[in-house]
Amino acid sequence: MNLLQIRKPSTTFALPFKHRAIGKEKVLISNTEGSFLLLSHEEFRLFAEGTVPRGSEYWKRLAERNFIRGEENRDAMASQLRARKGFLSYGPNLHIVVVTLRCNETCVYCHASRANMDQVQTDMTKEIAEQTVDKILQTTNPHVTLEFQGGEPLVAFEVVKHIIDYALKQNEKAQKQLEFTMVSNLSLMDEEKVAYLVGKKVQICTSIDGPEHIHDKQRRLPQASAHQKATHWIKRINEEYARIGLDPTLYHVEALLTTTREALPQWKEIVDTYVSLGCKALFLRPVDPFGFADKTGHRIEYPRAEYMTFYRDAVDYMLELNKQGVQILERFAAIFLTKILGGEDPNFLDIRSPCGAGIGQIAYNYDGKIFTCDEGRMLHEMGDSTFLIGEVGETSYRELMGHETVRALAIASNLDAQPDCVNCTYQAYCGVCPVHNHKSQGTIFGRMRESTLCAVHKGIQDYLFEKLGSGDPAVVDIFKKWTTVRDRTHFLQSCAV
Amino acid sequence: MPLESLPSDLVSFDDQDGAVHLKVDDGLYPLEAVYAAAYVFIDRCYVLLDKPASGQTRVTLSAKKGTLAGDAARELVGEFSNELLSCAWRSQIARENRATIEAVTAQALSGARGAPSLEELEAFDFSDDAFEDPLGIAMSWEEKYAKKKGDPKATAPTPNDEAATSSVTKPEAGK
Amino acid sequence: MIELRFHRELYDGKSVDEALKIFGPHASFEQAEETAHWIVRLSAADGAREKRVAGELSNYALGLTIAAQAKKLGRAEKTTATAKQEAK
Repeated sequence: MNLLQIRKPSTTFALPFKHRAIGKEKVLISNTEGSFLLLSHEEFRLFAEGTVPRGSEYWKRLAERNFIRGEENRDAMASQLRARKGFLSYGPNLHIVVVTLRCNETCVYCHASRANMDQVQTDMTKEIAEQTVDKILQTTNPHVTLEFQGGEPLVAFEVVKHIIDYALKQNEKAQKQLEFTMVSNLSLMDEEKVAYLVGKKVQICTSIDGPEHIHDKQRRLPQASAHQKATHWIKRINEEYARIGLDPTLYHVEALLTTTREALPQWKEIVDTYVSLGCKALFLRPVDPFGFADKTGHRIEYPRAEYMTFYRDAVDYMLELNKQGVQILERFAAIFLTKILGGEDPNFLDIRSPCGAGIGQIAYNYDGKIFTCDEGRMLHEMGDSTFLIGEVGETSYRELMGHETVRALAIASNLDAQPDCVNCTYQAYCGVCPVHNHKSQGTIFGRMRESTLCAVHKGIQDYLFEKLGSGDPAVVDIFKKWTTVRDRTHFLQSCAV
Repeated sequence: MPLESLPSDLVSFDDQDGAVHLKVDDGLYPLEAVYAAAYVFIDRCYVLLDKPASGQTRVTLSAKKGTLAGDAARELVGEFSNELLSCAWRSQIARENRATIEAVTAQALSGARGAPSLEELEAFDFSDDAFEDPLGIAMSWEEKYAKKKGDPKATAPTPNDEAATSSVTKPEAGK
Repeated sequence: MIELRFHRELYDGKSVDEALKIFGPHASFEQAEETAHWIVRLSAADGAREKRVAGELSNYALGLTIAAQAKKLGRAEKTTATAKQEAK
């Protein structure tokens, strides 16, 4: 049902709202501050015609969520909006440092445009490393996550160690809530490195593309199984966390999936692989058009409708496992549900308005070049330097934040300025990626109806609202659990263990 | 020649020049939308604008690389039309939501930049365009009134003048 | 020879001049004016080069025009905002 089917719509009863059919039986209404209600068709008719009986239970539900004109609680609306936009008061929190472009694995979709192992000139020098840390600690954000990426950061482990030591020293003055994370394929891990990384409280994240046969086909490691290496070290690092007394449900190696065409029918095997590895979260990320994926798209890409079938099957299965007591959540769902049910923004930089490019995250390349985000850096490696905003030794922090590209991206990713998004029921929970738009459509603003990213975001939220409207209390309970964020304080450098 | 399933009075294809021509109604698409859409295409096309008649803008697109023909021409003009519609709508939204967009952008950028250091303030270029001073607010009293010496109305500022100046400068100071 | 017609309501004259300066070394140019248009006739060594220079010059003039237009709009909006403040 939609407004066109309402015979006499009232123009005075409702405060501004957006609506969308959810399945065959429900209509979702939402407002600017992100309150929502799932209505039956009859409820929606009463609402749209303005004939809801005053004082009824239904009236109260609508009024509480600021859907009735004259009943609005402006203070509540303002405080909800403030909670959703809390991230605006601070600068970049996520600082991605590419310590080298070299990598020992060859991935079919490599977004990072890795370099061969002999390309030592793509290792970050100690001087640039120190200048990078100095720049990072100038952020206005009291929380700093320094993420090591590549290439493969273990290839340049001495640089990683130098950055950690230097950052810890410099942070004695800067006094940031500092965290280190590392994204690694783990194949070059050894006991000495594990001891160092666990000792220095570095969170470790890896890639697992599902069961061994898919993973090894997509992530080639000369003369060895990339999957076996990764899974061996996941288990070993998790053991180490347990050995020092950390709660394994909270402290474990995180893993990410890159969904290729080959993975689509394997949703069950993928979920099972993650569960068997002790992972509590699975991020069903579609493939992006950056790096090698741009060239191999004909082999690994797929229509987003097929991805959505995969997503629904996988998350349905995860919900069933949760009902049986298995703890596993889907990361996209958790991000959206935190906004939908929690009324807060988890500050996931790719799905917020405006997005985190520059103002929420910065990427530092091995050569000291600074980009608005990692996707912008990936495009630079493909020959497009649109998102280059400076160099560590030359550009001041305030110059970076005031850069015209940063300003343009803040405007381009503001959903209040975006056609389609302004009328979308999911506006309060969603976000766009101008770099993705630039790469796929030639404009940072993008055309959402033609955007694969929009199709995914809308599709996932359709699925989540269908589940919320299904009336299954167990699913609602599981979803609420997925929105519970337990802080991993052990990883904070300035906090005592 | 016409392009399949596109209105021949609006869209045509010149196979000799390998260029598509699209006529745009100025009443539906403001010039800023035409500019914005045209700009999106200048990396892959040569774009020329003209006004064949009053109230109409003609957009000519020719491919930078290779020759444009058949489906490629149709796709190109289709994509341009979609982008044009998107730009026209965006320009309307930007006007309607301007206050919100500006508030969010200002908060995001000021939150990220933080306060300037003393060195940065010292190095600040006050000759920037944004500081053009049509009302003479930044001028000294002597500069401001010396110019009008010959003008019998030119006198020292009254309390009312002061009040008028304050009402203009106050919102600026709050930025 | 290729003739480019830049409509005065769509192109900024200074931007067209600027584009001509930039592409001057790549072709020979002749300029003319009509009521509604600035006209540029260009000749180069061969047809392909002529076409390319004409295309690049058009894009360059358009890009500069858009930038100039954006600057003008910014100024106009600033003036409007100032006028509004004054009216208060």
